[in-house]
Amino acid sequence: MNYRFQFGVVWDNFPELLEGAWLTFQLGCFAFAGGALIGLFCATVKTYAPWPFRLLVDTYVVFITNTPALIQIYFLYFGLPEVGLRWSNEACLLIGLTLNAGAYLTLILRAGFLSVRVTEIEAGQTLGMSLIQQVRYIIVPHIAKSIYPALANFFIVVLVMGTSVGALIGVDELTGQAINLSTVNYRWLEYFTVVAAMYVVLTFIASIGLALLGRWAFRVKARIF
Amino acid sequence: MPHLAVSDVRAKYGALEVLKGISFEIQKGEIAALVGPSGSGKSTVLRALMGLTPITGGAVEIAGEAMNYSSAREVRAARDRMAIVFQQYNLFQNMTVMQNLTLAPLKIKKWDKAEVTSEARRLLGLVGLSDKADAYSDQLSGGQQQRVALARALALKPQILLLDEVTSALDPELVNEVLDAIRKLADEGMTMVIVSHEMAFVREVADKVVFMDNGQIIEAGTPAAIFDEPKTDRARDFFSKILRH
Repeated sequence: MNYRFQFGVVWDNFPELLEGAWLTFQLGCFAFAGGALIGLFCATVKTYAPWPFRLLVDTYVVFITNTPALIQIYFLYFGLPEVGLRWSNEACLLIGLTLNAGAYLTLILRAGFLSVRVTEIEAGQTLGMSLIQQVRYIIVPHIAKSIYPALANFFIVVLVMGTSVGALIGVDELTGQAINLSTVNYRWLEYFTVVAAMYVVLTFIASIGLALLGRWAFRVKARIF
Repeated sequence: MPHLAVSDVRAKYGALEVLKGISFEIQKGEIAALVGPSGSGKSTVLRALMGLTPITGGAVEIAGEAMNYSSAREVRAARDRMAIVFQQYNLFQNMTVMQNLTLAPLKIKKWDKAEVTSEARRLLGLVGLSDKADAYSDQLSGGQQQRVALARALALKPQILLLDEVTSALDPELVNEVLDAIRKLADEGMTMVIVSHEMAFVREVADKVVFMDNGQIIEAGTPAAIFDEPKTDRARDFFSKILRH
């Protein structure tokens, strides 16, 4: 191999990569949080609502989970201006990722709903809880604990795989930033080696954060490795 | 005026009529025990009273007030007046003992926090678990969990307490600690409807025994009358089988 790695140029532009990483982190967190809210709502509908509402949710889930995220984001990016909506690239990406995550999280959370013991729900009902109170005080804590690993994994998927799609619609998240910079000085391998390492660090930080959150909020004995 | 009056209550699971017109009443401070073979509908009576199994006919009155189970709000009105303890304790796994006790009074009833907390401590003392306030349910034995469930039900200050085979899932050596807690409640004058297979206990605490079979009441009366001189063959047969040992 004759290639000579020259990392100097990468370090010169490292602050810009850091900016990209920060945007990636924010996008990942917001898309996951928004997706979790959508997922929670849709899973509640799927479990308790009458069939027309369930059908609506199923349609959404099937449509989203059976098409690539990139295509969904392209629809927002190219389609919305045609109906008079001019959103920024970041907004298109965030909304697209959130809707995408919402569909997957509907399926993940639905499994959690089904795993709540009926008896615990009945205990809540007889204590006078409304449906929303049951979801809030019994189902959500139970789900957070019982399907914590699936949720944490999916967060990483959104954070790493989801956000990097943004590069294709000109969002300067970590991958996008790396593409921008390497087009200037052609140090592709150097940039992407560093960026790969940054993704690992980002994921690592996110995992620690999730594990701490899980331990603190839901008594999940999560391990980082 | 009876504290609880159940008259001609019916319930169905699909096409199967599991309660075929149940009627009984108890006065304030009395304890009624529902006994009978498995599948006779004892637990269903309690579930119907709590609105967990829909009532398809009949009437329920609590302290002269008619309970109507036709809407979610009406069902909640019934749940305001009664509390139930289940066979499997059904504690909230993700909460401490104290949180289990205070969740409903604080978040659902919106009662005063200081009062709720001190009442919860009193109840934990009553069931002998003052030192377990901060434990989680998976750190407790079955008997301890069931006593927490008892305290949790009482934290809502129910007018009537329903106990659904509360000792059936417990190891034999843990049964007594739960029965002791129920005895204390009886001494405090709590009105209770108990479904139980602990016949010696029923004989000791119950004012009235209701023998059920196949969704119907076969016989009802004082413990002595039902256990010692059952009038029906069905009851005689049942008690001769289970009282022998």
